[in-house]
Formats: sequence, structure tokens, C-alpha cells
Amino acid sequence: MARRRHPALAAALAGAILAAAVTAGCDDGPAPPGAGGDASAAPPQPLRILSLAPNLTEILFAMGLGDSIVGRSTYCTHPPEAAAVPAVGDTMHLDLDRIIRAEPTLALLVTKRTETVRRLEGLGIRVVAVQADRMAQLRETIRTLGAETGRPRAAAGLLDRIDADLAAVRRRVAGLPRPRTLFAFPMTVGSSRIMVAGRGTFVDDLLAAAGAENAYPDRADWPTVSPAQVVAMRPEVVIINAATAGPADRKDAIRRAWQELASVPAVRDGRVHILEAKYLTIPGPRVGQAARALAETIHPELATSRAAGLPARRATRATPRAANVSSPHGCHWRLVRQCSANRHALAGKQPVAPRAPDVAEASP
Amino acid sequence: MTPRPLTPARYVASLVAWVALWLPVAAVAVVVGGRLWTWGSRAQMADVLWLRLEWVATASAVGASLALAGLAMQALLRNPLAEPYILGVSGGAGLAYVLGSLFLSVAAAPLLAMAGAMATVVLVYAIARRRGRLQPYTLLLAGVILNAFYAAGIMLVTAVVRPEQRGEIAVWMMGNIGAFGPQWPLIGVVAALAAGAGVLFAFLAKGFNLVAVGEDTAGALGVRVHRLRAVTFVAASLLAGASVALAGPIGFVGLICPHVLRMLLGPDHRRLVPAALFFGATFLVLADLAACFWEGATNRAVPVGVLTAMCGGPFFIYLLRTRWRKRMEVR
Amino acid sequence: MRPDDAQAKRGGSPHPPRNEGHERGGYGDPPRGNLAPEPATLEAEGLRFAYAPGEAVLAGLSMTAPAGRLTAVLGPNGSGKTTLLKVLVGLLAPSAGEVRLAGRPLASYRRADLARRLAYVPQETLAAVGFTVRETVLMGRSPHVGALGFESEADWRAAREALRLTETERFAERDLADLSGGERQRVLVARALAQEPDVVLLDEPTSFLDIRHQHGIYGLLRHLVGEEGKTVVTVSHDLSLAAAYADAVVLVARGEVAAAGTPLEVIRPEVLEPVYETPVEVRTDEATGRPLVLPRPPQR
Repeated sequence: MARRRHPALAAALAGAILAAAVTAGCDDGPAPPGAGGDASAAPPQPLRILSLAPNLTEILFAMGLGDSIVGRSTYCTHPPEAAAVPAVGDTMHLDLDRIIRAEPTLALLVTKRTETVRRLEGLGIRVVAVQADRMAQLRETIRTLGAETGRPRAAAGLLDRIDADLAAVRRRVAGLPRPRTLFAFPMTVGSSRIMVAGRGTFVDDLLAAAGAENAYPDRADWPTVSPAQVVAMRPEVVIINAATAGPADRKDAIRRAWQELASVPAVRDGRVHILEAKYLTIPGPRVGQAARALAETIHPELATSRAAGLPARRATRATPRAANVSSPHGCHWRLVRQCSANRHALAGKQPVAPRAPDVAEASP
Repeated sequence: MTPRPLTPARYVASLVAWVALWLPVAAVAVVVGGRLWTWGSRAQMADVLWLRLEWVATASAVGASLALAGLAMQALLRNPLAEPYILGVSGGAGLAYVLGSLFLSVAAAPLLAMAGAMATVVLVYAIARRRGRLQPYTLLLAGVILNAFYAAGIMLVTAVVRPEQRGEIAVWMMGNIGAFGPQWPLIGVVAALAAGAGVLFAFLAKGFNLVAVGEDTAGALGVRVHRLRAVTFVAASLLAGASVALAGPIGFVGLICPHVLRMLLGPDHRRLVPAALFFGATFLVLADLAACFWEGATNRAVPVGVLTAMCGGPFFIYLLRTRWRKRMEVR
Repeated sequence: MRPDDAQAKRGGSPHPPRNEGHERGGYGDPPRGNLAPEPATLEAEGLRFAYAPGEAVLAGLSMTAPAGRLTAVLGPNGSGKTTLLKVLVGLLAPSAGEVRLAGRPLASYRRADLARRLAYVPQETLAAVGFTVRETVLMGRSPHVGALGFESEADWRAAREALRLTETERFAERDLADLSGGERQRVLVARALAQEPDVVLLDEPTSFLDIRHQHGIYGLLRHLVGEEGKTVVTVSHDLSLAAAYADAVVLVARGEVAAAGTPLEVIRPEVLEPVYETPVEVRTDEATGRPLVLPRPPQR
């Protein structure tokens, strides 16, 4: 019927125009001058961003602004495309020469040092200093970045993805017991104290999302605790983030050290895990991945059920280790994947496919 | 105090007295430092007890080693400012340890430190030897030069590594008794070295006395002065190197303990050597206990080397002013 | 008992008679000391020594210190006297020649044995490290005490005797640093005596002493030779003093022995002038019969 097709055609046309308008405003290319929905603060010149924190660089890339970054800090190594961007030092030591040559228009950094901010402002750059200590602050930071770069929708999209990731993790751990978990770093030479994540950090938020309770009771950021205090805390799970480079036998040293605290439930039950992923402590787009890794470490029974997980976005390398089942409990100090694989093998279930796309041991 | 002959009976009696000082102090340090009576479950108490035992054993072994090494160095160099690290050993051991623990292997780092110490011994010996003999003056110079070189090396490493590792190096350089990680084999080595050196220096004590008064007379009285120097140098350097490998370069103990003992007991090395062994151990155990209290109160760790410097200095000045005995310190 | 008193009691001059001989003159047969010392002759033969290549200090020196005698080693500055003494004690090893004690080379003795038989009083001043006089003298017992240095009553007796002989008992508990130079020199001698040696070698033991103490020290040396039968070798730069007390004199010049014999034989102008390169006049002390050396201003 000619009469009926008309409104349909009109609707289709309207939809097409709408879609064109929407996609025209979508963020998958360099922002054209003056584009974006935020007319009030967007500078008229092209966006040249100086990103001086690893998490900010990741956020910018996730928002599709990778091409706008003209300078990064030496520690911004993810995603791999960031390597192409020239490095200009870090918040402590800025290479002002390189910064000036990069001609940035916007500098983003995570710092509380006003001196650095003033120095960059002295070069005529707009400086925005943000914080990302907690999840709420991370959300705030992403929104701020969206506003500053004129891509609020990209920011909102990123936030949605992160929230979806975290919600998925929460769903999976709902109903499971919440063990007392200590998130620690390897011990340092010359000191008996261990740095842990307190209840004032976003790692604490991740632990909560991963279905665990932070064994450290106080609202500190990154406190150090003595071994006696660890014994007093009685954590049921201990996660050690050995991300920075160190000697080859560092993990053995860590294991030997923790074995001394035999009364700690985590040590007794073989639930001390060493994770080498760097992204666990980077408050950025990969927090969902981090929460998932934590959840699978803390609740090993989750490792098999990845059907409800997220689509594999990134291909990551897994470094398989030889399994060494040495006790009735299944395993002591193994990496998460193999540990869960062994437990299921022992329980007679199907072993996990050796190379799942999303693993906790992804090298950052 | 009327002078009496130094007979075996009196020697053993004084030894027993020193042990009777150190053992209770160590026991108290273990119990009080770990607050052992506050733990509810036996398993927890056992863990903390084990850790405290380890740390008190470390403090004892390192304190004994450093005090003995300091005494020997002061006798060897005839210099009251001599201390165990003056001949470059702490630098050699320290640089090797830092490089090892940051880059090569955590488990092998102490071994590397010992190797660094021994390499330094060889180097200093080679530099300072004149016509087959070690003179105090040239030894001192060689040690100072090597220390400067090692300090530069450590600074270079500090400049090159990541910021978080920089902090580790700085903390280690202050010296720390406690470490998280079993160290019993190394503690055993240091304790064995201290005991062995104690016995060795007890036999050399006669020679130390004679050399302190005059080299020619010492030689004429049957002391092989140059062999004594070489043996003392090597033994003291090994002690210092092993201590650094275990607990980092803890300063001040090797300088202060011999002087305090000289003020209490006089300049006779036959009495000083056994005293240094146990007094050094007690001293460092007490310092570690003080560090424990500090940590309990402020929830921050303080390196024991800082405490020994802060507390030892004023105490030494007090002793100097009140002059417990008229006997002079080494001049 | 001061040596001077003993000599006064026995009457006669405090010095040996004019002619050399085997008698020990004026004292009769000397009573033996605490441990009967065997008369020990110290001989040196063909000694050569150089501190640095090309700078020979001893150039083929041979001498004998007869047992039970006081031998004075004389010579101008730089003639090698101190070095000679150190080689005789065994502190320095000669590049050629050997030293023999009681007929056996020094090298054949064990170090502890040698230290029990040879005592050395050097010219060095003692470093004041806080030892008392008694402790310093007791150090002389170290060749006799065990490895760990434990002392016995015998050691303390020997130390007491040494203190008595040198009249240093009254400051036995005082710090060495509190003593005068002369007192310290006597303490050094006491330490050598505490060693209970057979042979005592002294390097200019009176160089800083006043005349009373100079004669006191030499009187003590005469006592050691006479009463205790030890062999004493002393380096001296005071020709008259040496001549007054010594049994034998060895004159060293440029690393060699220029003359050796009794004081009367060696202390003569024709012997001394070529060695010291300055005019001397030798007179005879009428009271003792010993030579007195009077230097004359150089005639230029």
C-alpha cells in the first residue's frame, strides 16, 4: 500500500538521518575542531593531549582519543599503541624540552603537587589534575576527561562498560562466602613490613566487587603492616601483586617468606596467590578485568564458569606453568589458572581448556 | 680495684657473667618484643615467637660480629675512630647485595655480598701492601678510597633503577634487623663466624696488647706483627661482610661498643675480646627491642641503625664526661 | 737494693778494673739470678742489610758480645747502630750473614724461645694507651704465659722483682702516660727484665735522662752483668759514659766495625777521630782509670 509505505519510508529516512547525526557525533576518530557536544569549554584549536599518568593514558585510548595524545609519561606502557607516543618523563621529572616541542594544549595528570601543575601552566598549557584513589573518584575522573576533551559521550560509554564489567563480576560472586582477603605487595629488602591495600583505595572497591572483605580494617591508603599484624588479621586469602620487575627467584622468596606464618588461614589452606598483572593497581578501563581476576583468584570455583563473562576484547598472552599438586588440598602456591584447573581435575570434572582468552596472568 | 693476675678461673667467671647478661636480655627481648602473652591461639603465638627468635638471633649475631670487628680494627689500625666498615667492606658487600637482590637473585644476594666483601679484602690487601707488609696508614687510605668508589657505585645504581626500588635501597642502607623471610642459614653463618672470631681474637689478644704499646717491642716479645695484622684484617673484614649480608650496614655498633668496654674494663684485650662478643650482642638486641617498641607505638618501622646512632651518641658523651674509670680510651 | 749500694758495700770502685780479662772485677763470682741464666754469647757475622736497594746500612758487619759482659756499641749518627741492634734481636732479617746466640743461629730458635732468651729495650716511646706500669711490665712475661695470656703467680713474682730492680715499684699502679720520660725508660727496662732473658739489648737507654738517671741505668746494667750474669749490649752515643761502664766496646762506622776491644783500646784519639771526623781529646779519669772523651771544636 502506497499510503502505508510512506510513513515507513519517512520513519526510515528519519532514522537514517538520526543515525547519521549520531554517528557524526560518535567518537571514533580525531575530534574535529570544535566538534563534540560541549561547546562551553572546548578550545577552538586541535586537541593535543599530554597524558602523564598510565591510567589516564589508558582511559584516553579507551575513549578513542589515542591519536590526540602527543606526550606521555615513561610509565604509560598500555595499550601497546602508547609506545608510539613520545615519552616526556614523569610527574617527578618532566622533560620540559620535549613537552614544549610536543606543543600540547591540554595536560592531564594525577598529582597533588601544585608545583608541577604551576610549571606546566607556566608553559601556557591547560592543566587538569585529577585523582583516582577510589572508584567514585575514577568515575569522576573519566567524566572530567570527557568534559575537558569534548567527548562526554565517549566518557559515558566507557563508564557504562566499566559498570557493566563490575556488575557482571558482582553477579558471579553473589551468594558466595566473602573471605577476609589481604591485598599485599612483595616484601622489600631490608624491611620486615609489607605494604597492603587499605580500605581507602580503589583496590578495596575491587575486592568488594570481587566478593571479598578487606582483611585490613582501617581506612588507610597503602599502609605497611608487620608480620605480627598479618598474623593478627588472620586473612583467609592473600593476594600478592608482584608486578614490578625483579630477580627471577623472587616468587620463590615470597612463597618461602609467607610460609613462615603458618597460623595464617590463607597460608594453612594454600590460598596465598601471587599475581603479576600490573593492571590490578591501575585505576583505569581495565578495572573490570582486575575485578574479574581477583574474583577468580579468591573464588576458584568461578574459573570454569565464564559463560556469563564478557566477550574477549583483548588477546592476551598466558604463560602456563607446570602444575605441581603436592597436597590433598590441591595446590599451595600456584598461579590462579592452573590452580583451579588442578582442583577440577582432581574433583573428576572436565579440565579447563588450556588457553582461555581472559586470564589473570595477562602480561600488562 | 686491686689488680690481680688473669687466671683461667677468673677468665671463665667473667665469661659466665657476660653470658648471664646476654641470655636474659635476649629472652626478654623475644617475649616482650613480640608481646607473646597477648596472643589468643597457640598457633599465632608460635608464629610470632618464631619471628622474634629469628630477629633476636640476628641482632645477637650481628651485634657480636660488629663489636668484635670494631675492636679488631681499632687494634689493627691503632686508631680510635676505626670501625668495621672503614676498610671498604661494607661498600663492597653492600653494592654486591644491592645488585644481587634487585636484579639477579634474592636467595643468592647474601652470598654475593660475602663475595663482594672478600673481593674487597683482596683489593685492599693488594693496594696497601708495601714490601709484603700491611701498614696501618696505607690500609686506611686504601679503605677510604674503596669506600668512596663503592658509594659512587651505589649512587649510580640508585639513579638508574625505578623509584620504588630506590626506596628499597635507601631503607636497606640504613641497616635493618628484621626481614620478612627465613634467614636461619645466614644467621647460623654469622653466628659461627662471630664465635670463631671470638676464639681467634682471644688467642691474638696478647698480641693486640703488645702491638698497641709498641711494634718493635711486640716483635721482640715474640709477636709476628705482620702476620697478626694480616689475619686480623681478614677476620674482621669477613665479620663485617657477613653482618652486612645479613642485616645491611648497621653503623655505630662497631665504633661504640669497644670504647664503652674500654671505659669499663680498661685497655687489656684479653678481657675486651670476650666482653665485646656478648656486649655487642646485648647492645644490638636492646636496640632492636627499642625499635620494636617504636614500631608498636607509631606503626612505622625505624631502622635499627638510626636508633643506635641516636641513642648511642649521647650515651657515649655521658660516659666520656663522667669517666667511669680513669683508664683512657685509645690514644 | 740499689746497685750503687751493693757496690759501695763491696767496696772498691763501681767499675771493672782497667785491664780486660775474664774476671768480672770487684764483685767476685756473681750470684745467679732467678733462673740460672746460661752465659750466652751473641755473635754476628758478615751482616748485610739495606732498607731499600742500593742503600746499604750494614755492610758486612761482624762482632761478638761476650757472655756475661757489658758491651757498648758506639758510632756516629747513621752508622747503623739501631739497625744492628734490630738485626741482633731478630726483628730484621739480614740479606747476608747470620746472628748466633750461644752458638746457634737465630733462625734455629722458635720465636717464643728466642723471646725468652733475648730482651730488647727499644728507643721508641711507648704509646700511652691506658696500661699501668705493672701491666706494661707484665707484658714482658708474654713469652712465658700461655696462648690465651693467663698469668700465674710466678709471672707476678718476676714482674715484682723487675719493678724492684728498676725502682719503679712506687708507681706500679699508675698510668704510663703519667710518668716522666726517665721513669718510662726505666719501666721499659723493667719489662725487659721481667722477660728473665739471658741477653738484654738496649738502644740508647739514657738519651733523654739527666746525669743521675743515666748513671742509675748504667749501674743497673752493671748489676745485671755482675749479679745476674746476663749478657748486655747497649748502644750509646755518650762515649764517656760507655767507656766508664762497659767491659767491651764495638765502634761502628758506615755499617762496618771500625774497632773493637776494651774501652782503653778503642777510646783513643787515633781511633775515634777518623770515625767521628772531628778532633777529640782523651783524658783518663783518675778516680776510675777509664777514658774521658772531650771533643774539641773543629779547626777550620
